[in-house]
Amino acid sequence: MLIFVTRRAATMVLTMIAVSMLLFAALEVNVENVAVKVLGPYSTDEQRNIWLENNGYFEPIYVRYFTWLSNFVVGDFGESIRFRTDVSEVLWPRLGNTAILAACVFAVVIPVSLLLGVLSGMREGSKLDRTISVTSIVTTSVPEFASAPLLSAIFVFYLGLLPGTSGMAAGFDPVQLILPALVLIIYDFGYVARMTRASMAEVMTTNYIRTAVLKGLPYRRVILRHALRNALIAPFTVIMLQINWLLSGVIVVEFFFAYKGFGALLLEASLNQDIYLIEACAMVSVFVAVMTQALADIGYTYLNPRIRFS
Amino acid sequence: MAKSEIRDESGKRVHPYIPELCEQLRKGDCDRREFLRTATLLGVSSAAAYAMAGSILGEGPVKKAVAQETPKMGGTLRSAMRVQRMDDPATYDWTEMSNQTRAICEYLTVTGSDNVTRPYLAESWEASDDLKTWTFKLQQGITWSNGDAFNADDVIHNFSRWLDPEVGSSNIGLFGGMLEQTADGGQRMRDGAIERVDDHTVRLHLSEPQLAVPENLYNYPTVIVHRGFGVDYEADLARNPIGTGPYELAEFRVGEVCRLRKRGEYWGGEVFLDEIHYIDTGDDPSARVAALASGQVDHVYEVDISAIDLVERIPGAVLHEAVTAQTGVARMRVTEAPFDNLKVRQAVVACMDHQKVLEVAYRGRGKIAENHHVSPIHPEYFQLPGLTRDVEKAKALLAESGVSLPIRVKIDLGQAEAWHLGAMQEFRQQLEPAGIILDLNPMPGASYWDVWDKTPFGFTQWTHRPLGVMVLNLGYKSGVPWNESGYSNPEFDAALAEASATLDVVERRAKMEAVQKILQDDAVIAQPLWRSVFSATTDKVRGYEIHPTFYHQFHKVWLDT
Repeated sequence: MLIFVTRRAATMVLTMIAVSMLLFAALEVNVENVAVKVLGPYSTDEQRNIWLENNGYFEPIYVRYFTWLSNFVVGDFGESIRFRTDVSEVLWPRLGNTAILAACVFAVVIPVSLLLGVLSGMREGSKLDRTISVTSIVTTSVPEFASAPLLSAIFVFYLGLLPGTSGMAAGFDPVQLILPALVLIIYDFGYVARMTRASMAEVMTTNYIRTAVLKGLPYRRVILRHALRNALIAPFTVIMLQINWLLSGVIVVEFFFAYKGFGALLLEASLNQDIYLIEACAMVSVFVAVMTQALADIGYTYLNPRIRFS
Repeated sequence: MAKSEIRDESGKRVHPYIPELCEQLRKGDCDRREFLRTATLLGVSSAAAYAMAGSILGEGPVKKAVAQETPKMGGTLRSAMRVQRMDDPATYDWTEMSNQTRAICEYLTVTGSDNVTRPYLAESWEASDDLKTWTFKLQQGITWSNGDAFNADDVIHNFSRWLDPEVGSSNIGLFGGMLEQTADGGQRMRDGAIERVDDHTVRLHLSEPQLAVPENLYNYPTVIVHRGFGVDYEADLARNPIGTGPYELAEFRVGEVCRLRKRGEYWGGEVFLDEIHYIDTGDDPSARVAALASGQVDHVYEVDISAIDLVERIPGAVLHEAVTAQTGVARMRVTEAPFDNLKVRQAVVACMDHQKVLEVAYRGRGKIAENHHVSPIHPEYFQLPGLTRDVEKAKALLAESGVSLPIRVKIDLGQAEAWHLGAMQEFRQQLEPAGIILDLNPMPGASYWDVWDKTPFGFTQWTHRPLGVMVLNLGYKSGVPWNESGYSNPEFDAALAEASATLDVVERRAKMEAVQKILQDDAVIAQPLWRSVFSATTDKVRGYEIHPTFYHQFHKVWLDT
């Protein structure tokens, strides 16, 4: 297990180094471009040269890369062009906001989708299974850019029940979380429920479950003690991957509801060509992606003894 | 021949053009708005100008624009607007930035939503007959929020910063007559370009006649900051929010919120709102409208054309519309192939059906343009014969040009405004029958500004300016920084210089015929429309008027709660 974890950690570090090289090559190699972005299009060549000199941009490229990388490792991401402050001062609060949104979504999605998936998979082909399956397919088929305006039209413009934006300008307001969370929940729960259902249905057809039923164990015990643990292996991986999706894949939702999260920040950084912010957001995204992947693999190994002992 | 000086009842010198202007109003050669604008430009107080107009037109005393209500004190106005950086106002490049600052720091002049420029920090001004010397008398008794007295040193400090290339202010383009060339080909402020007459009087000495000095002084980056700004302390207004305005900065987070709080005594009279909150609802126009619908804000900075029906259906919402000289131009860089060929450019513009583009891309809410960047709402606009789409003419021009057909061109366009793409999609269809295939390259707004003055073909948005000559001098005169098309025509430059130095609006209008015709014939831009702009408030917001350039003037706004 220790060797496995060490291997995963090494792969993680290598992946991040590879991405950092690509990022550096894309955004930092053209120094003139960096100076224009930082000082603006109306800056003079003289101003740009002074700035480049002062910030070490005339050093050899490998020196610049290692300096850049070591700054990143200690959390010095540079100064945001758009926000005129340290990137870290903007990045962490936005990441925190997305974490709050993600926590709300998971708090609903995980129990609801697991419950529905298990119920559905327990009796494949039953009325309950068909109802849950159709609902799941319908909700997952509606993308966020369609469900967000639809829910907004109903709850904001027609019923007047909920706030239209979620910027929290006057401080944290849980009511403002409802619409963005609802859009994400509707999209996500069906997907996880379908995966759970498929996994559960597969487990229910295995010999050991049949044996357990035939030897007269109570059905409830068969499900809880024998079927559930194996059925949850696939959904566990899927849920871990949803963390990635919630981090940077919710740009549409955060943009639509003006939620000040990480996805909206990434979009804002890109539209404003805020290179230091783009770099930081990209590295954070990659870190979360490889980290969740590693955790998923480790968790999968823990849940599935066949992998652990192979 | 020496002119005798005319003085008003208080003994103040009146510009010699004023009697002629009165005569023009009497004859109907200029309208009331143009009279007010020009009279105030020439130093007549706005009250006196209104009184003169009323007397000439038989309207009696100054009329109030709206039925009088008793304003209520207090309350917080919440406005949905992007919250941008707030560092050095001289380097602002978005109107939103200036709105955040507008209630903290102030301008020497103010142009109202009626396009009339009036005194503000400057009590009055006076122009010499040749429009080369402008004297500004400053208001007395104004104090900065740090307790210092406002005086001529503040104004001189600001001009010095604006015209210092190191600062990087776009204001440098507004006061060309105060500049000189440096040995290395750069520009700097000429010695003696600004004179400190006394503590509360400054005089500008220009090397060339300039008509729109007071109006330029309300251009959004010309906000007056304290004389210590960038000298005694860092040039960052968010960190050093010292101003003369009625509000102070209470909270500021880029991309989130800008909270302004009323400060004690204000020299400019009573203001009603306790606080103004700018709340960033992002770039999505529908988010702003949703915020209005759910009562999260009282005012929306701008309502997109696509959302006006929605706003009109929200109970208690009021849509405000301003007819403006805001526009977008499909401009061709005349130094780059194939647009270095006049016949090709003329063929491109001949294909445009302006009315159709206006209807398709902007729902008909505006006016058609005529490819010369002077709007019918500009006082000096000269009406040339109307343009009609002529595909046969375009084909003939292309045949004469020597290019092989079909010709394929690509246009870069920023997506700051959704209608840009719609306009160019329609234009693409209009070009096709003539054998011109237009590829569209939509890009983020910020990316477009990297190429706006380099790309061979680009669609650029231009904001409203009160005078037609202002934008022509900024964007089409040879060699100026914002000449994005690389256009250079000495004949045009001479005609424009002559018009720009003509105070008489009737004479100037006559001179604009040549200016507009040359630009139109040289086919530098295909300009489809002049757009109306919209904002929205709840019906509780009173005293608000939408400004053609979205400048916020909330001094007289109050909430009926």
